[in-house]
Amino acid sequence: MNPLLLLFLLLPIAFLSGWWSARRLGARRSGARVDELSSSYFRGLNYLLNEQPDKAIEVFLQLAEANRDTIETHLALGNLFRRRGEVERAIRVHQHLIARANLSDDVKTMALLELGEDYMRAGLLDRAETLFADLVAMNAQAPSALRHLIAICQHERDWHKAILYARRLQETSGEPQSLQIAHFYCELAENAQAHGAMQDVADYLQQAFVAHPEFVRALILRGRFAAANADYPVAIASYEQALASDIDYVPEILPALLDTYARAQQMQRAEQTLGRIVLRYEGVSPVLALARIYARRDGQGRALEFLGTQLRQRPSVRGLVQLMDTAIESGGDSGASLRLLRDLTAAVLEGQALYRCTQCGFGARAHHWQCPSCKNWSTLRPVHGATGA
Amino acid sequence: MRFVIAALLLIFALLGAAFAALNGGAVHYDFLLLEADLPKGVTLLVVLVLGWLLGGLSAWLGLAARRRRGAGRGDGQDAA
Repeated sequence: MNPLLLLFLLLPIAFLSGWWSARRLGARRSGARVDELSSSYFRGLNYLLNEQPDKAIEVFLQLAEANRDTIETHLALGNLFRRRGEVERAIRVHQHLIARANLSDDVKTMALLELGEDYMRAGLLDRAETLFADLVAMNAQAPSALRHLIAICQHERDWHKAILYARRLQETSGEPQSLQIAHFYCELAENAQAHGAMQDVADYLQQAFVAHPEFVRALILRGRFAAANADYPVAIASYEQALASDIDYVPEILPALLDTYARAQQMQRAEQTLGRIVLRYEGVSPVLALARIYARRDGQGRALEFLGTQLRQRPSVRGLVQLMDTAIESGGDSGASLRLLRDLTAAVLEGQALYRCTQCGFGARAHHWQCPSCKNWSTLRPVHGATGA
Repeated sequence: MRFVIAALLLIFALLGAAFAALNGGAVHYDFLLLEADLPKGVTLLVVLVLGWLLGGLSAWLGLAARRRRGAGRGDGQDAA
């Protein structure tokens, strides 16, 4: 080939290289690449909203590979992995993000918080606690970190630390934590009682009242401890104060209160108190207790009459069972059939929830101060109605 | 990638310098209104740069026209 021809080829090559450079520059300036990325991002978001996390993960992974600077994509990916239970992958994504040198402080703390949540989900509570404590010390994302720390302390039943973090959260976020703090003190009081440290019990209960005056759980505990020490006046006063503070806890308080009245030989006062409660409380528990008192004092006839009247106003299977018991004990022709009816009704009652969480709807037969399902405090309330307490 | 590009640029610059040194002689040009004696290497470089610029200009004009057409379509959709 003629070398001169090669020289002439240089001209179209120069033209083409100029054309290509200008195209590339123009494309970059027009944001075509950005458009492509954002469209992928929205596609991923769309999958997320449509509850299709598998496809969303696929899109976000491609996005993260295409542009290694997309921090939000990494955060979204990490969250997705955690939500799907792939905690190890979530931890890797967040660790990869934190290891970057050019991260701003805000993003770094966000990634640390996410990593802490990954550790929590993986059950590595000590690592999570260290991370969250560091964040609190740096005063970065402190409210979220403190909430996680409180959750960890509750899980580990480290109530002293939980109180410290709850107080700190109250200071930093302004969110009231008095109810939680009072519950933590009650947990401490119960622990102290189990170890026989009665002075500590009194101190913790006092702290609970300081955190949350007229706190029902602390009042019940004070009543229980006083009754155990045969200090009946204090026990009765505490239980009655608890009833005045929150009438919904009647089924929890009433048996202990009636027992204390009996030990203190104050059945007259018990009858008066029950009479007042019947007027305020919709459930059947105080009616049944009052009927038992009437049965002992005035005979089964009076108890039957009282139960019949009350159960017409507040129908209850539990009340029906007691009505039948009373009828059986009082004698009569239809004793056998009543017994059968009683057994059937009692069978219906088996397995019925007596308490239900007002937050998550969790049902339980025994009372819990902390809902076993949603972990909220003081949300388990007695179930009213035919099978209620 | 950046290192490769820098190395390529250096090679081409060296080749250009060698080409200019080997073709140091002048060429006589008659542009009708004026005449000039220019070195062969410089002439080639100027022609290459001109070609590069013309290519860039044509691409830029093409992109600008496409963008205008796209904007026009977008307006039409909004109005509809």
